[in-house]
Amino acid sequence: MSAVALAPDRPRRWSVAFSEDMSDAAVQRLLGIAPFRHMNAASFPRSAPLADILRNDAGIRRYKKGEIIVREGDYGTSAFMVVSGAVQAVLSPGLPPAIVGRREPSRRGWFSTLAQWWGNSREDEVLRSKPGFGVAGGKSRSGGAEGAGIVLQDIPRVLGNHRTAALVAGDFFGEIAALSRMPRTATVFADEDGTELLEIRWQGLRDLMRHDPQLRRHIDGIYRERALATYLSEIPFIRRLPEEAKQRVMAATQFETYGDYDWSGEYKKLIQSGAMAAKEQTIAAEGDYPNGVIMIRAGFARLTQRHGHGHRTISYLGSGRVYGFDEVAHNWRHPLDPIPLQHTLRVIGYTHVLVIPTVTLEQVVLPALGPEDFPPSRVGRQEARSAPVAPISAPGTHVRGISVPAAFSGGKSRTLEESPLPVEARVDSELMEFLTENRFFNGTEAMLIDMDRCTRCDDCVRACASTHDNNPRFLRHGPVHENIMVAQACMHCADPICMIGCPTGAIHRDAFEGEVVVNPSTCIGCTVCANNCPYGAIRMVEARDESGRILVASDAKPIVKATKCDLCLDQYGGPACVNACPHDALDRVNLNTLDDLAAWLRR
Amino acid sequence: MRRRLALRRAAMATILIAAIWLIAVKGGGWQQSYPHFTYLSGWGLFGLMLILTAYNGRKKLPFIPLLSSRLWLQVHLYLGLFTGVVFLLHLRWSWPSGWFEAALAFLFSTVTGSGIVGWWLSRALPPRLTTVGGEVPYDRIPEVVRALREDAERVALGAIPAARTTTLSDFYASRLAGFFAAPANFTAHLRGSRRPLNRMLAQIGEVRRFVNSEEGKSLDQLADLVRSKDAVDLQRSLQLVLKGWLFVHIPLTYSLLLASVAHIVVVYAFSGGAR
Repeated sequence: MSAVALAPDRPRRWSVAFSEDMSDAAVQRLLGIAPFRHMNAASFPRSAPLADILRNDAGIRRYKKGEIIVREGDYGTSAFMVVSGAVQAVLSPGLPPAIVGRREPSRRGWFSTLAQWWGNSREDEVLRSKPGFGVAGGKSRSGGAEGAGIVLQDIPRVLGNHRTAALVAGDFFGEIAALSRMPRTATVFADEDGTELLEIRWQGLRDLMRHDPQLRRHIDGIYRERALATYLSEIPFIRRLPEEAKQRVMAATQFETYGDYDWSGEYKKLIQSGAMAAKEQTIAAEGDYPNGVIMIRAGFARLTQRHGHGHRTISYLGSGRVYGFDEVAHNWRHPLDPIPLQHTLRVIGYTHVLVIPTVTLEQVVLPALGPEDFPPSRVGRQEARSAPVAPISAPGTHVRGISVPAAFSGGKSRTLEESPLPVEARVDSELMEFLTENRFFNGTEAMLIDMDRCTRCDDCVRACASTHDNNPRFLRHGPVHENIMVAQACMHCADPICMIGCPTGAIHRDAFEGEVVVNPSTCIGCTVCANNCPYGAIRMVEARDESGRILVASDAKPIVKATKCDLCLDQYGGPACVNACPHDALDRVNLNTLDDLAAWLRR
Repeated sequence: MRRRLALRRAAMATILIAAIWLIAVKGGGWQQSYPHFTYLSGWGLFGLMLILTAYNGRKKLPFIPLLSSRLWLQVHLYLGLFTGVVFLLHLRWSWPSGWFEAALAFLFSTVTGSGIVGWWLSRALPPRLTTVGGEVPYDRIPEVVRALREDAERVALGAIPAARTTTLSDFYASRLAGFFAAPANFTAHLRGSRRPLNRMLAQIGEVRRFVNSEEGKSLDQLADLVRSKDAVDLQRSLQLVLKGWLFVHIPLTYSLLLASVAHIVVVYAFSGGAR
């Protein structure tokens, strides 16, 4: 018997269209309405013509009145444009979860779980639904229209109790989540029966924006406008301001972007050159006058402090963290005893920040704050000069102002208002450097192994293989700091750059919790995600048929697909690797927040 | 977390000690009071062995939610110790005289003993592996050893053209080739002895008197490679032991189960039931 089996053809980007019902007539209709009517088809390359983008990367969705289109908090990789009808976006605060029908992701049934005992294939990586061969499905729910099917029951009450914004034909929404790999910021529902929306997956939107400058300017404009209001509302001291003051702050706030959106390649070059912190771009420097408060919106920044002739990492700041507030607040309260910035803020990879200028804060924000909103008034000019460096593990060490708790209390579900630096949230500076140099802080589900407990039995590896086509989705190997190994397993990054280049959207965030998963049905094996992943957590494997023969395309090359940890989303009991460890050596830890890490270290 | 873990361990240990004390103190009385006590303790022992063996089954079925392996291991440890006490009670605190029963008792003792040794190994060896560094997955060790050997041969042979002598390559062939050819010093690594490494480094130091500066640099590289190979050997030795004890414990467990079934059959066949 031959060791290989001929597959129908090698899957390509548009082997499976985003929507099966996108007919030529529908495409022609779209080309006749704004903004597509005004686009210059000649500016699109032959490999991705405008009509083909609409045909393959977009789909027409129809909704009845009250039907939810997207839900706040869900992850989505597509944007929408109203074609006809009207929709309402619920502004912050959003609707309660029960009203919008949020539910746990679907798992296997009990029988299906048990059936794995005898039903799993004996061969490795058997591809039951061949990629790009028109077999839809898989456990992914990325196929658009994630909120479809849920209908709001009492629309007048929703409209009465919540602030909403009406969107009409030609308006875009959902572009923030689609382009920034972040959760949906608002729930949107149809306000008329038969509302027609064009849903475009982000790859298509990216191409449209790339080749049509007008659309790019338009999307950039609404992105800035909507994102700014949403982002600023996350800062407690801004949220409590009167509406007029908020508008003044919004008008004065600046967007700034540092580094590369696709920072993986640059990072790999940096690793090879051996130069890290020294080459990182500086956003704000220790010792400088505080020109404003900086809020991290996307990506990460490293907080450092001078130590000898170098800089020591104090912490890393992720989305929602604020820098520089203490200094600005201190200088406003003690104008005769001003202090400069106490730390340096450096770009790690890609960082998108908001800057609220000092003058705006002094005129609009600070006078409106109560005493409880200010940091402890223990920052003195003398102290700032004489004690710039304290051991990170020493009690009382802090990053000034609200950036302190923010820096240490991050995580998906935390806000700036949460607890101050907890006692246990102490992580030694060497470990901090290790996490930062390797950029592990990006991981929300990093696989940490306590090597003092690990007996190298590989039960975790076998458990993973048993639950994933006889092929483990991680390597029990990776960088080690003292007794802690960060294994080469998908960390389900806060900023998953693996998703950037995927031409089909096969690698995407699960809509419910945001885990990064690969849909084997639409994976074309292009290796872009594997090459993008800076942590080596994605592996390309050769697909096989039921008899174990390697599938080959007509060009005689094997069909490959991307594989990675999916956190056993469809299994009961969570990740099999964690459950299989007999010695409590392995766990999945959110490295966005040092609290989780500190708790794990002290377990 | 640590406090909770300590409390749980203390609770488990207390229950175990209380159960052992109860059996030790009251066991003799029970044997007097209940004529079928040996029958009961035998079946109890067999049931406990089945539960203990089920842990291996749980490992084979990671996709079925059967509680965490960590919990199973804790139960396995404490229940294993408890089973040992029940076993002694079943024997009436004396070694059996029949050859089959003696073999069965020996099998049980070996399984229990190998389990205790395995538990100790799993606590003692991982920190040593971590301390020495150079973590290598066991399956990749042959590959790493081969790469080190190729590097060492390249360094030894590469010194010849510049030095125009074969001092270094001769030294390599006579003293180091065997070391790089295969895993070495298994028992020394188990004991934690550094003597083999120090001896080789001393030999390298000795040969330094006969080489020029160019060869000296190659000698430094060889010394580094020797240290790397020694670290890999240590990893291999300790990982082999960590994996190997299960190859004693598990086959003996299944042998014990089969022998126990035979024992039950023999008891019912020839004595009209246990008394």
